[in-house]
Amino acid sequence: MDKLRVKIDGRTILAAPGKTILEVAAENGIHIPTLCHLDGLRDVGACRLCIVDLYGQLVTSCTTKVADGMEIGTQTETVRAYRRTILELLFAEGNHVCSFCVSNGGCELQDLACELDMHSVRVPYTYRRERVDATHPRFLIDRDRCVLCGRCVRVCQEVEGAHTWGFAERGATARVITDLAVPWGTAESCTSCGKCVEVCPTGAIARKGASNAEMRKHPDLVAELTERRARG
Amino acid sequence: MAGRLDVLVCSGGACMSSHSLEVKEELVRQLEAHHLADEVRIVETGCMGPCQYGPLVLVYPEGVLYKNVAAADVAEIVSEHFLKGRVVERLLFRSETADRIIQERRSIPFFEKQMKIVLANCGAINPESIEEYIGAGGYEALGKAVTTMTPEGVVAEMKASGLRGRGGAGFPTGTKWDFVRREKSPKKVVVCNADEGDPGAFMDRAVLEGDPHTVIEGMAIAAYAVGAQHGYVYVRAEYPLAIKRLRSALEAARKLGFLGDRIFETAFSFDIEIRVGAGAFVCGEETALIASLEGRRGVPRIRPPYPSTSGMWQLPTLLNNVETYANVRHIVARGSAWFASIGTEQSKGTKVFALSGNVRNTGLVEVPMGTTIGELIYDIGGGVPNGKRLKAIQTGGPSGGCIPVPYLNTPISYETLKELGAIVGSGGVIVLDEDTCMVNLARYFVEFTASESCGQCVPCRSGLVRMLDILDRITRGEGAMDDLALLEELANTIKRSSLCGLGQTAPNPVLSTLQYFRDEYEEHIRHKTCPAAVCAALFVAPCEASCPAHVDVPAYVAHLSNGDFAKAFDIHMKTNPLPGICGRVCYAFCETKCQRAQIEEPVAIRDLKRSMADYAMEHKLAGPKPRARNGQRVAVVGSGPAGLSCGYFLAQLGYETVLFEALPIAGGTMATGIPTYRLPRDILKADIDRIVRAGVEIKLLSPVEDLDELLADGYGAVFVATGAMKAQTLALGDPLPRGVVTGVDFLKGIHVDGTSEVGAEVVVIGGGNSAIDSARAARRLGAKHVTIAYRRAKADMPASPEEIAEAIEEGVEILDMTSPTGVVGGGRVEGLRCARMAAGPFDASGRRRPVESDQAEIVLPTSMVIVAVGQEATGELLRGAGIEVAKGGLVPVDPVTMSTSRPGIFAGGDATSGPATVVEAIGAGRRAAIAIDRFLGGNGILEPEERVEVATDYDEDAYTQERARAVPPMAAAGTRIRSFAEVRGRFAKEQAIEEARRCLHCDRKQTEDGVCCGSSAGEAAGATTR
Repeated sequence: MDKLRVKIDGRTILAAPGKTILEVAAENGIHIPTLCHLDGLRDVGACRLCIVDLYGQLVTSCTTKVADGMEIGTQTETVRAYRRTILELLFAEGNHVCSFCVSNGGCELQDLACELDMHSVRVPYTYRRERVDATHPRFLIDRDRCVLCGRCVRVCQEVEGAHTWGFAERGATARVITDLAVPWGTAESCTSCGKCVEVCPTGAIARKGASNAEMRKHPDLVAELTERRARG
Repeated sequence: MAGRLDVLVCSGGACMSSHSLEVKEELVRQLEAHHLADEVRIVETGCMGPCQYGPLVLVYPEGVLYKNVAAADVAEIVSEHFLKGRVVERLLFRSETADRIIQERRSIPFFEKQMKIVLANCGAINPESIEEYIGAGGYEALGKAVTTMTPEGVVAEMKASGLRGRGGAGFPTGTKWDFVRREKSPKKVVVCNADEGDPGAFMDRAVLEGDPHTVIEGMAIAAYAVGAQHGYVYVRAEYPLAIKRLRSALEAARKLGFLGDRIFETAFSFDIEIRVGAGAFVCGEETALIASLEGRRGVPRIRPPYPSTSGMWQLPTLLNNVETYANVRHIVARGSAWFASIGTEQSKGTKVFALSGNVRNTGLVEVPMGTTIGELIYDIGGGVPNGKRLKAIQTGGPSGGCIPVPYLNTPISYETLKELGAIVGSGGVIVLDEDTCMVNLARYFVEFTASESCGQCVPCRSGLVRMLDILDRITRGEGAMDDLALLEELANTIKRSSLCGLGQTAPNPVLSTLQYFRDEYEEHIRHKTCPAAVCAALFVAPCEASCPAHVDVPAYVAHLSNGDFAKAFDIHMKTNPLPGICGRVCYAFCETKCQRAQIEEPVAIRDLKRSMADYAMEHKLAGPKPRARNGQRVAVVGSGPAGLSCGYFLAQLGYETVLFEALPIAGGTMATGIPTYRLPRDILKADIDRIVRAGVEIKLLSPVEDLDELLADGYGAVFVATGAMKAQTLALGDPLPRGVVTGVDFLKGIHVDGTSEVGAEVVVIGGGNSAIDSARAARRLGAKHVTIAYRRAKADMPASPEEIAEAIEEGVEILDMTSPTGVVGGGRVEGLRCARMAAGPFDASGRRRPVESDQAEIVLPTSMVIVAVGQEATGELLRGAGIEVAKGGLVPVDPVTMSTSRPGIFAGGDATSGPATVVEAIGAGRRAAIAIDRFLGGNGILEPEERVEVATDYDEDAYTQERARAVPPMAAAGTRIRSFAEVRGRFAKEQAIEEARRCLHCDRKQTEDGVCCGSSAGEAAGATTR
């Protein structure tokens, strides 16, 4: 099929039809920050961090397909400011105190703060103080560190097929749950495969007993798995 | 057999909740008892519209509409109307403007400007009878479509009609249908969105409850046009009656073959299912609705793909709102050209609005697009009740915005409202009066959307909570000016980067109130005050908050309720040194906000004040002791209420204060303009004498011409309160014949110069209090016939309604919509020529501008014309001191310190505000005294800041029961016009104590730890401003 001609940050790029802006940018070495996106999982456009400017409109690059003649700005002043504000809002709604976190140094949220020059949070922290669920024999979840990206929910549905993880409630009280909001250790559908641990971008879902240095995650496992499955 | 009468009983949701079914049952009983059951047919209908007046009963063939019918009224209706043919007048509508009773439904102003298409059957047929629906032309359009039109033809008709989605977004309906029709799929779905969730919108419910078949028919036509076989109505569980009626309508339609296989014996088959939603607001968003329909968690997803390509079960899905479908059959039956002829260029047809809030006629109305906002609120809605002023209207619910008063002439359409920062939305219209705090309103909507956010995307989930937090802080008086910038930044981030429509529109109420009412936000932040007296943390009580002098009303009323008049007086003197005067002529802003009105009527605060003041006068009470003299001198120019108040408080603060008055008497307009029957001069004198005794020197006949001279004379500061004494005039003829005077000169002549010449016939021009004063004074001087000519409607007169009523009692005739054009007569005036006016478009004040009507000019024969059309300040004195004077002679001053652009020179009262009230001038004078103290090195603190806690040990429960407001004795009108003696009497002491006990003590607030205490919150706020 014919290649499409798009312009990203002033650079003219030839792109294959059917690809998203994020994919085309990545193929051409243009980095766009993401959080809820993960190669191998369906994109939902929930975190809004990958927004780009498309003719003055802000669209999520992970869900928007390229079209011929598109002119896209990935680093405009507005886009950067909005990303930073969104990131502040993410920090403010949890208890993201890095020095106490098992994922300190291996956290995508922390990386984003560095990347987007977020030096402070201008609104007060919520300090939700949810209970840590450590009922699972090998893993635990600290919902105060959860950013509701939904990667655990999607990997559990789409790759493992267990449907253990889901969402409950809405708005500021929305949270991820296992089965029908039972303690994780009692969730019968859970296969203890650990994919949710690997895809979780923060220290919310972690291995029990792991030290900070040991707690490194491998979210790219998912893409490997799905690619291999596709090959059969 | 055919009935003689049809009696329609409204059984819409609102009427049912006011017991319309009991009315219907009683009707059945009464008709049986009178053997009329065969002659009179009872029909239960859907919503008739004016919900405020339910239960409603409509009687055909006459079309007589009865309102607020109770079961107890039925016997009278049956025996009088049905048997004897005499309409029961007491249950009829009454016109708001002309005082007349309206019998027929179609002549009631509420219905006159409406055009019912969507609601044509609502309130006219029995929604549970498919026969009645067919009788009214139902299912003809479906028949026409499937037997004579191609699907393409139907879509083309929809496109040509210009109909746009009524759910809120306004997307062209025909275009959407075309998208779905073009999809190549053997299976398609039609969905009706009946998940009506905007607070204050209830049109979809009314349509489903009152005319369910119209929705079914619309959906069936849509299914035929786009090629769908299945339909779903997604209706919220909170609408059980709508679900019940829709369900029975579906069964009836299936039975008669309008749904099911081979409709009208064609190849077209279609059926509809009901899906009941659990009431999440976000499920009104189409992709969330579809997710919920499929049985998944109701959260939106990113579009594209749009439902038209991949919707329910990934099938091409047509999704429209109830009201949109309700339009369809009319377009098919009557043609797109007919529909396109209604409305504006880009917004066609009608729109149903749900009127609610501070409007007389709440309910459902349907108007052509292009109807102005003012027509909707005033002509149909009947305007704002309880004598309050309109502040804004809020449209479109939590996604919408506010439209302030200056835009009343805006024709309603998708484009015009969007331009103003609001939206048509689903059609909720909330009318807001002056008692609405716009910050609190914005806070309310953000609280709603924050709790309804699905929680999927970050800006909406987390950002709205942050906005709510900031708004919370502002309404508690803890906001900072930086918060406004952050609030705007968050609002824009959420608006532009949220995933779905909920988040993208949720900040609109904040952005739109910031656009039009930013000053209110700033008031909350800078001055820690809530101008509408809503944000309870920012004031002692609503009465105190609304008082321009911030008199601590609950405290002195509490003392009165204990019978301690002296202590009450002391508290009053701390903020207002003219109690005798204010006890008589105050506008009593406090009473307009009195919460007692929610039980029956406001506490009679002004009359209580008078009792207290008279007690103080008779017992020669002096009030709080002034501080020792500090040796500094301040000059005050003008001895009106602003000057007297400023002088008094300066004396309290220890200054040697001299008041310069040009006239031979002190008191300003209170002495020259307010007639003695309202304000006896011994009362005026008593209040002024007390101020003199407190240490203020008043120099009469001492006009000041040069402020620099005063400053050179050793006065450390000057307060200028020279009032607005110059009368405005009208060009009535040149030269003017004798007998034409201004109201200012006329009243001053009576009270200062002792003249009392008056003709037998007097015409007063104007609508304010000085016009009323002139008219009533003229009656007292012996004028036989006094007429007030006013160019606007009587309801728009700025004079207080109480004064107007008293003037009418005294025989003054008011001729409104009458604008004088010139005088008749040579040497002496013989008559006044007047044009008759008609109500034109709305002006910036929200009143209708009078325009010349086609009626002929009239001549009012008269020997005297008093022109009382307003007064203005001259600003001469301040201009002379090098201070810039604005238009109308007004001097711009800082509203808190009353300082002019020149240090040391302060100004207040009518001189800076234009003609206003005594109590506003008192407040200005006091603020100036505080600022002058600070200017001269003091701390500006008049009294210890803590509030006096007053015990009221009486049976609170007993006094919160309904209890009539006390009315003081009034002289009879016949006696009144014979002299200038005071009209209004005063309460006996016991009566005053009883009245004071009606106070609900809004100042006692529940603190966080549950302790009920005085006014800890009020203290916090008071510390910074008062």
